[in-house]
Amino acid sequence: MSQKASQNWTLGKVTVRDRPTTFPLYNCTAKVRGGQCPPYVTFLSHLAIIISFPLIAIYMTDQTLSPSQHPLASAIHDLESGRALLPHSDRNLVEVVGILESYGYVLDAYAINLNYIADHQCLVFFPWFKYFNGEFSLQKLLRHWWHDRINYEYAEYCMKGMFWHGGGGLDAYLDTDEFRQRIEPLIQYKFKYNPVMLGLHKLFPEFLPELVRQMCLYSGLGQFWRIMSDMFLSLSDRYNQGEIKTIPDVVQHILAGLVAAASNPITYRPTVGNSTFEIIPESQGITFLMDTAVPYVEAIFFRGTPFPGTISYNAQAYQIPLHQSDFAYGALYADPLPIGGSGIPPTQLMQDMRHFLPDYLHEIYRTEGRSETDLRVKICESFQKSMFCVTTAALKGLAPFPMDTTNPEEQAQNRQYLEQWMNRFTTSRLQQVRAGV
Amino acid sequence: MLSTLLLLPFVGALVLWIVPEKLAAEKYRWVAMGVAIVSFGLTLLLGWQFDITQPGWQFVEEISWIDAIGLNYQLGVDGLSFPLLLLNGLLTIIAIVASDRHINRPKFYYILILLLNIGVVGAFVARDVLLFFLFYELEVVPLYFLIAIWGGKRRGYAATKFLIYTIFSGAFLLAAFLGLVWLSGISSFNYEDLRSHTLSLTPQLWLLGGLIIGFGIKIPFIPFHTWLPDAHVEASTPVSVLLAGVLLKLGTYGLLRFGFGLFLDAWVQIAPWLAIWAAISALYGAVCAIAQQDMKKVVAYSSIAHMAFILLALAANTRLSLIAAVMQMVSHGLISGLLFLLVGVVYKKTGSRDVTYLRGLLNPERGLPIIGSLMIMAVMASSGLPGLVGFPAEFLVFRGSFPVFPTATLFCMVGTGLTAVYFLLMVNKVFFGRLPDYLAQMPSVTWGDRLPSLAIAVLLLWFGLQPGWITRWVEADVTALMEKSLESNAIQNQPFDLAIDWAIDRAIDWAMVTSLSSELSSGVGAIAPSLDIE
Repeated sequence: MSQKASQNWTLGKVTVRDRPTTFPLYNCTAKVRGGQCPPYVTFLSHLAIIISFPLIAIYMTDQTLSPSQHPLASAIHDLESGRALLPHSDRNLVEVVGILESYGYVLDAYAINLNYIADHQCLVFFPWFKYFNGEFSLQKLLRHWWHDRINYEYAEYCMKGMFWHGGGGLDAYLDTDEFRQRIEPLIQYKFKYNPVMLGLHKLFPEFLPELVRQMCLYSGLGQFWRIMSDMFLSLSDRYNQGEIKTIPDVVQHILAGLVAAASNPITYRPTVGNSTFEIIPESQGITFLMDTAVPYVEAIFFRGTPFPGTISYNAQAYQIPLHQSDFAYGALYADPLPIGGSGIPPTQLMQDMRHFLPDYLHEIYRTEGRSETDLRVKICESFQKSMFCVTTAALKGLAPFPMDTTNPEEQAQNRQYLEQWMNRFTTSRLQQVRAGV
Repeated sequence: MLSTLLLLPFVGALVLWIVPEKLAAEKYRWVAMGVAIVSFGLTLLLGWQFDITQPGWQFVEEISWIDAIGLNYQLGVDGLSFPLLLLNGLLTIIAIVASDRHINRPKFYYILILLLNIGVVGAFVARDVLLFFLFYELEVVPLYFLIAIWGGKRRGYAATKFLIYTIFSGAFLLAAFLGLVWLSGISSFNYEDLRSHTLSLTPQLWLLGGLIIGFGIKIPFIPFHTWLPDAHVEASTPVSVLLAGVLLKLGTYGLLRFGFGLFLDAWVQIAPWLAIWAAISALYGAVCAIAQQDMKKVVAYSSIAHMAFILLALAANTRLSLIAAVMQMVSHGLISGLLFLLVGVVYKKTGSRDVTYLRGLLNPERGLPIIGSLMIMAVMASSGLPGLVGFPAEFLVFRGSFPVFPTATLFCMVGTGLTAVYFLLMVNKVFFGRLPDYLAQMPSVTWGDRLPSLAIAVLLLWFGLQPGWITRWVEADVTALMEKSLESNAIQNQPFDLAIDWAIDRAIDWAMVTSLSSELSSGVGAIAPSLDIE
């Protein structure tokens, strides 16, 4: 069974057009043509070929893909069948929609703050009140110190993650000459009365551009989350109206949102003093999906950073991969249990989401486990489920062909695509999430 | 007033005995709690009226009881016993709070707790040695039942072992007390009468030997210690708290009050041996603690090690060390009480005390973060970290003992260093790392679980910063004891500096073990009592 399955898998992997060239009998025939076999053998061989070719053609056009042998084959088959990485259940649906609603509110706040910082705190070296969105008051300061606030630090953590891991057109643009040319007027204008800074800028020409690059990431992530926030809140509205009934519905909603916003331009025009500078013009062609969404998923969902917490990492002992591309510390790999210590970034997100939980989900959490005490763990578990839905939408959106294609060749390519992705999921929390652990 | 402290729990026990059997466990608990709180309040009132500048007995009560055998109902409290009285009052309340709200046979349980309280209070306030003995024996009975009925799987074995050891302890004590009265030729067991009568050295040595064995079993020192780990492991959490916090102190209190107080000449003679015994006990307890896998056993062996410091301080017989001995009793009572409480919560929530099974309990969401933090605080206190009560207590012990028994003190200091080793091993294994999935669904910790521990933790910190709140009770009486010590025939007025130089020279000249025996042979202990470092 295993050997047969392996052969079939190879068949599916290689395109039909190439298939006969590897057929063993054909190779044998070539040898026969070399005159090493008696004439009757040659005749029988040719006869066999003539008879077998139509049969092979019939076999290959009628065939469907055989089951994948990948360790995460069940997930692959679910995706191919139009389902999601997260199996559907009423409980999963409530958790995912509920948590995405609270996430939507949190992202809304994050996006507003990221865009504010990008637009109004550009090249401000000590942005003391950057989390106040330009609305500073003593009362707000006291609330901030009392920690009655949104943890905007988490948004910055994600921004820095994207900045560090790079990828996509936005990241590539930041290293171009055009970018350097566009930011120079900004720098000159900002420090026109500050000869010391301008002198330092000449001495250390990478310092200020690097700060502006970071501001570009602030802006890029802010614009990305603006769209995602609206998408998650509209999902919740549709669920409340009874339009979302299954997990595949959730995935479809997200996929539609991603596709609709895919080509939205990402631009950046910070205001310094009374002047506005166009740092990322629309003409650069930097778009929502490929230049912010995909790098975000790669940086935050997959790679992440080994943040300090209850687990210590020893890079010298190779406990951290040598290459950034091999990192697997993202949201899809995060262990929900150790969260909660001070300074652990995901905890800040869970802390923020608990303020916006819909009542129906909060009530479920209250009746389970340690009620309010381990709320952040439960939020994290639900959040991880929802992120696998977002990932499903992203995988479907980026697949070479629609998942419901009937063309065997396209199916085969989709299979190859999915199996490559599943290789990355083998150490993720996917199996636990699917098993309901 | 002191009789009220005895009568209250008795009346409480009587009320519990009279009320119907079928009441909810909570109601028995509230009665016992009320009695314990009122008793503790009365003890605090005593403290308010206590004159700390005056040595000797205060709040004296005396009723003639059985003249034929010279037994009188004579009560009193002084600076040596009052801190322990307070400790007992506090830990009794905490033990009741920490008791299971739905415990089986609650009526009998709380009656036994109150009877235990009577025994301990009586022993601490008795001015008559026979009365002390009666109370000392009285507490054995409820403790036996508390272990035998509400203990763990091997409770029968542990309770019986405890009973056998304690019976032997009592037998040695009774023999020593009777021998003292007989040899003194007086017809009373009154403590002051016996103290004013000095026996010759040889009978003193015999009688003191009996007392040391008797109290040594109770404390316990090696090799009399084997009942303690079993008793702790099998006892329920509140009983462990009382056992470690108060009951073991009966032994050290007895050594100080009767061993040191009544047989000073003999005490001075054997002090070097006692110091060596203390060092061995401290090291042995520490090494055994390192090897344990059961958290309760770790704490139990730690108790053995830390109680040895009290013996060292008593053996050194300086003003500072005697103050330190009482302080260490209180300190150990609080720290071990807290440790047993915390281990109890861990066991209640996880069902295990096995350090190889438990892990990651400091997890902030699904672990025991506050309990774990308190545990870290308790082990720091036990290790003598400055700012917590263990530091002034152990520092005073070592500071007071070092001039007299430098080598033994150094060994004991190694023992306290090992405290950090075994407790940090335990804390590291149990509380750090990732919480395993099989522990991720622990039940919530309630404030009822935390409050008793928090109350003791506050005291650890308070007495760590203000050790004078303990030592001030003791100073006057220790000064009086030292005056008696100075009058002793064994006193030789050797200059302090000379003795220090001599001890240091010996320590340098000889290897550690050889030095120990040379300390004995050269009679440093004999000159020790005069070495008041203050």
